[in-house]
Amino acid sequence: MMNKSLLTTSTFLAAVGIFGQLAPAAGADQTVTFRSWSPIVETTEKMIAATEAAHPGIKIESQIFNYPDYIVDLQTRATGGSVPDLIGLEPGALTQQYRDFLAPAQDCAASVWGDDWQSKFFPLAVDQLRLGNPDGDENYYGLPVLTQTINLWYTIPVLEDAGLEPPKTYDELKVLAETVGPAGTAPLMVGATDGWLRRDVYMQLIHNVAPGLIYEAELGQANFTDAPFVEAMTWWKRLFDDQIIQPGALGLSAYPGSMELIEAGRAALFPMGAWWQQQATRPNPPPLSKGLSGFAPVRFPDVTGKGEPPEDLLGGIDVMIGITKDAKDPEAACKVLTDWIGGAGAQELINTFNDLPAFIGLTPASFETENQKAVWDLFTEEWLPTVKYARQLRDPAVKQGLEDALAAVAAGDKTPEEGMQMVQDAYDSISK
Amino acid sequence: MPASSPRPAQERQGLLFILPALLPFLVFVLYPAFYIFYASLFAWDGVNQAVFVLFDNYIRMFTSDAAFWLALRNAVYWAFLTIFPQMFLGFLIALVLTSGIPFQTFFRAVFYVPAIVSPVVIGIVWQRIYNPFGGLLSDAGLATGFGFLMTPFLADTKIAIFSVIVVNVWQWTGFSMLLYIAGLQEIPDEILDSAKVEGADTWQTIRHIVWPMLKHVHLTLILLGIIGTLQTFPLVYIMTGGGPNHATETLPNYIFLQAFKLQSMGYASALSVVLLLLALGLSLFQVRVLGARFSLVR
Repeated sequence: MMNKSLLTTSTFLAAVGIFGQLAPAAGADQTVTFRSWSPIVETTEKMIAATEAAHPGIKIESQIFNYPDYIVDLQTRATGGSVPDLIGLEPGALTQQYRDFLAPAQDCAASVWGDDWQSKFFPLAVDQLRLGNPDGDENYYGLPVLTQTINLWYTIPVLEDAGLEPPKTYDELKVLAETVGPAGTAPLMVGATDGWLRRDVYMQLIHNVAPGLIYEAELGQANFTDAPFVEAMTWWKRLFDDQIIQPGALGLSAYPGSMELIEAGRAALFPMGAWWQQQATRPNPPPLSKGLSGFAPVRFPDVTGKGEPPEDLLGGIDVMIGITKDAKDPEAACKVLTDWIGGAGAQELINTFNDLPAFIGLTPASFETENQKAVWDLFTEEWLPTVKYARQLRDPAVKQGLEDALAAVAAGDKTPEEGMQMVQDAYDSISK
Repeated sequence: MPASSPRPAQERQGLLFILPALLPFLVFVLYPAFYIFYASLFAWDGVNQAVFVLFDNYIRMFTSDAAFWLALRNAVYWAFLTIFPQMFLGFLIALVLTSGIPFQTFFRAVFYVPAIVSPVVIGIVWQRIYNPFGGLLSDAGLATGFGFLMTPFLADTKIAIFSVIVVNVWQWTGFSMLLYIAGLQEIPDEILDSAKVEGADTWQTIRHIVWPMLKHVHLTLILLGIIGTLQTFPLVYIMTGGGPNHATETLPNYIFLQAFKLQSMGYASALSVVLLLLALGLSLFQVRVLGARFSLVR
């Protein structure tokens, strides 16, 4: 086993440079420290102001990073023994990696919302909290703050001008491509440089072909080379071959690349999740995003020939927050966390449309347009309660294997069968 | 008379003098180098208990990791296709911009600007330029009928690495130019005048006098180019993320992916050891074969 003191020493130098930033402010009764990649800085500052006002005597110090920097920071702090009181987490691999540093959060939840605290959350938000827990470990190592669905969006004026309804089948998708493609509009705009977006599209395809099967494959109860997986991969390839996904998609990032083209009205459809609502709250949004007037969500079209997409959507926890075992004042940390989930801080968060709440009953203070309200209601009242399966996969190596395979197949370097073999190989490498 | 050895007191004084340099070297270079080698012998996620696996990470790397070999291949491409074009173009531009043309100071600044712009910004801008759907090049292709401009430069696994290399050359040619301008200004006028008197034409002067006299600049650029090759990260990370399917993978990018996205710090450490050995080997090769006389000023 690796010598812990060696690890600690190795990170000491990196850590000493930033210890000072988290020093408690003079005069504050309790300081709660928080580090994460989400919510964004501006939103977090509003949440902190609201929570500090609601809980006098608690001061919150936060630092928000972009995601890669956050992972580096968290890892350095964990090995150096200086994790903050509250940390942003994703369900699955990330939470499991830091499980030994996290205090079970169910007691905190029960202390605020009672023993039936789970009933206060959308079901998917609770279901996914324990993703990857070892057998027999029933603890919740964090509480959900934001949730999301993954789906498609369509650009309302583009479809209106084309005289088309949002497609429900693959054939309708092809008609859309033949109609809008020649006019210089992407039928389905995908910033496929980003692996997560490629994976999101595939997850919707496999959910369409064989709902739930991919989670069985993750547990070794099915093979990634089984026919349904290859079929879904074949549909992925057809999206490129039939010019439904725009040319050169593998060379375009989701943000800011595809985002700018979408907001400029160059896309009929695009695969983003519920988080796309926040485009309306950015400073000086383009006309289509203003009040979310130009966009509406739609289910991924059916590719199986059934004629209708599945009733349920994929989704999950966008961000959850854990209380660390070394939290200086766990009670204060719990107050902050629960306020950000269902209190004054949560209201500030939801007002930004950053994503969907995990806590039932929260609604933004105001809507700019009827469409914006209709979209919110659709997500929170119809779609979110139906989410049955997770957007995320358990193991990062399988995720990466799938993302690589999707790129290889889209580029024409691998057949769908070879692509799924890549995923199976990734799975086999971790299960050895 | 044999040279007397320094007295112990002098030795101690000498040690004290080198201590300010030695200590940082031990702490910031030697210790991390030892540490990553030690960590490379473990299966470790960077946070939790590690499991000793001896050389398994190295065996996996050399026998079954296609992405690692792609990263090595790309390092070779990167070294040859950035260092020499940058030197050649930088030299040509430097020649023109020291010949007394109007606004040459202005043009020097223009050519140098990309070198001081963040690679993140450059990556985002060039991704847009390359985008075959609404990008600058594809729109120019549409307008002019030059179909090759609509090539999916970053999406095609066969050409993506070269497309990124072009951007790197574009960014750093100005830097080469600057060093060559400094070198050119050091060449005494008397030598150039003598060549003229002896009847040497422009080409002969450049070929036989100017180019050899800039050897120290060439060596500096080769050294910096090799270091840059082994450190290539932000441009690739922003433009392609190492994709599609690792086609533009570089060792630093791959180390980052393994360490922080795939939670394989042990394996990432093994990759780092290989990168370190590669850097050491190339540096030694350069010092031994090309000579160690690299500096801006002769």
